[in-house]
Amino acid sequence: MYLQLESICKAFDAKVAVDNLSLEVPRGAICGIIGPNGAGKTTTIRMVMNITAPDSGRILLDGHQVDGDFRNRVGYMPEERGLYKKMTCEQVITYLAELKAYPKSKITPKIGSWLDRMELGDYRLRKVEELSKGMQQKLQFITTVLHEPEILILDELFSGLDPLNMELIKSVILDLKRHGTTILFSTHVMEQAEKLCDHICMISHGKKVLDGSLGEVKSRFGKNAVQLEIDGDGDFVRSLPGVREVTDFNRYLELSLADGADPDAILKGVLQRVRVRRFAIVEPSLYDIFIDIAKVDPSEVHGRSTVGGSHA
Amino acid sequence: MRKFLTVLRYEYAQVVKKKSFIVGIFLTPVLMAFFIILPSYFARKAPTATESVVIIDAGGIGIGDQLATGMGSYTLEGATTPAFEVKQIFTLSSDDSTRFRQLEDSLRTVINDKGLKYLIVIKSNAERSDSSVYLVTNSSNFTSISRFERKLSDVISSHRLRASNVNLPVDSVLNLTHRIDLTVRDTKGEAIPFEVRYFGALVLVMLIYIMILTYGMMVMRSVIEEKTSRIMEVMVSSVSPFQLMMGKVIGLGAAAFTSVAIWVVFGVALYFGSGALAIPIDPSTSKLIFHPVVVVFFVLFLISGYLLYSTLFALVGSIVNTEKEAQNYVMPITISIILPVILGLSVIQEPNSTLAMTLSFIPLFAPTMMMMRIVFVAPAATSFSPFSGILGESILAFLIVVLATIGIIWLTAKIFRIGILMYGKRPTLPELIKWLKY
Repeated sequence: MYLQLESICKAFDAKVAVDNLSLEVPRGAICGIIGPNGAGKTTTIRMVMNITAPDSGRILLDGHQVDGDFRNRVGYMPEERGLYKKMTCEQVITYLAELKAYPKSKITPKIGSWLDRMELGDYRLRKVEELSKGMQQKLQFITTVLHEPEILILDELFSGLDPLNMELIKSVILDLKRHGTTILFSTHVMEQAEKLCDHICMISHGKKVLDGSLGEVKSRFGKNAVQLEIDGDGDFVRSLPGVREVTDFNRYLELSLADGADPDAILKGVLQRVRVRRFAIVEPSLYDIFIDIAKVDPSEVHGRSTVGGSHA
Repeated sequence: MRKFLTVLRYEYAQVVKKKSFIVGIFLTPVLMAFFIILPSYFARKAPTATESVVIIDAGGIGIGDQLATGMGSYTLEGATTPAFEVKQIFTLSSDDSTRFRQLEDSLRTVINDKGLKYLIVIKSNAERSDSSVYLVTNSSNFTSISRFERKLSDVISSHRLRASNVNLPVDSVLNLTHRIDLTVRDTKGEAIPFEVRYFGALVLVMLIYIMILTYGMMVMRSVIEEKTSRIMEVMVSSVSPFQLMMGKVIGLGAAAFTSVAIWVVFGVALYFGSGALAIPIDPSTSKLIFHPVVVVFFVLFLISGYLLYSTLFALVGSIVNTEKEAQNYVMPITISIILPVILGLSVIQEPNSTLAMTLSFIPLFAPTMMMMRIVFVAPAATSFSPFSGILGESILAFLIVVLATIGIIWLTAKIFRIGILMYGKRPTLPELIKWLKY
């Protein structure tokens, strides 16, 4: 394991922010910490960053307790973004990279290509305060990754990004992963996490409720249901063998299947009666799983997504 | 260590490259000269135009006429035009008090309208009682007022001499009793004029004061800016809070030192070039400003005072959210730096008084207070021992400041690392104490 959190706890006065949390992130993985606001994501990340000290527990990187040297090997983007408003883009990138003990001779040649990649090529000598909020976010991202960190820690990665910039940053992150960078990020937008990470850790009220690889988690919490969109009256579906319950969502029906029922047999049964427009096996979304496991009030959680991978 | 230097270098460059730094280099000495020299210059300057005088003389012995003649001997500087014009002398009988009051009241209103500058009132009994003569004016020009004083003294003294039946010519008595100009020599037998010491103390103390306040506030603003722009968390993921804090304090301190060094170079050049530039500088000045104790402790107190206060300012910056919130804390800090300037006159008169002595050993006051005492005491000292006298006291005060600075840095470091990541409510004192234990 590359990054290990061993039963870390942190309390602020009477409030327990993180409660006995353990987590293992394999080298080169993208791991998402997900949970609603106030679940303890930022506190956990700050403890990994050695900004706040845990009350108990250990954090190991490559089997060693994190130390000062760790600061240079990590790229960190906190939830609250910020840069020096009065500096130029080039200055701020150089300063922050120098603080990572990254040699200046390597910084300067990389600034241009990173700015171009983030569509900020024309702003190299402009002051940060002249940039729009979205541009500042991208600039912040450059300062987080320019010094070639072996691990990236991104708190609330997607906050404040528009869909286009989100895609841009996502593609860069996937690219970094291909080059061996380990990525740990947090988000409360579960739909986004689902698209990006291969390892997840769900926390709620400071406690880990679930972790594992995305596929593993999904298969463990498969609901055994199908979605069905047909032309005509669907009342007969209820009486098909293997169908336990039908929920009418107006545009489509959701069928809960009995244990051991074969979706193929049901599809055949439907086809005999009506024309099928869509037939999909429902994969539970992280959101659904989260609501299910954490027993939280759905209003606490953002990012409702209905349909997972489809299959017809 | 390397990161501390990176922070230091950037903080230094951020300040030194700014236009305001260059402007400040030129403007600060000008402003200081303006505030120290100009007021006294104007107060001592002789009037440039003839000033009008009216005299009410109810004394009955001709003092008014004699004064008018005496005042006529003054001319404007570099001209033959008289400095004073006596418009009118109202001679009244001593028992006409109704007319006297009416006249004085009406003339007072004319002075208020600025048609008239001075009204001299001489009541009966003037040759016996000083309070029977007075000057009514809204001007406070020292030169003119002392001229009235001198001439009135002459006139009234001669009346008194005559009345006392002294068997000598009145004029020779006046000459014999002429006031002497007392030269003050210190214990080394040197005469450094009071003005030189006063300006020397003021300039050196003001320099320490201005540098501490300007650059200390800059440290505070820099911390607040990093908090409000939310870059603080990125910073502490790269450098330890302690390195960040000290990088700021010392980087900005280096900028402060740069400007002081530039002023010293200019000042020394001006001093040695003063002959060529025809600037009159009192020759005793060098005995003060080049005195080794003065020079060494100026540097030491500037550095230690700056470190002490700028760390305090960093502490304030770390626990507040905005500059406006910081004002409450800045006020008491500013007052403790400026205290010696406020108490200046009493220190100058009695630099070894219990008050001055006590204050110069209290860490927050020591840098400025001790500096002021050094300027007044050190040049006159005949022997220097590191364990007693002014040198011993300076060393002790310096050590006290150093110890306090170490204490404040330790305390601030503990609060700083928590405070910089706290947003929202300002911490209460019990909360701050709890942070010390984290």
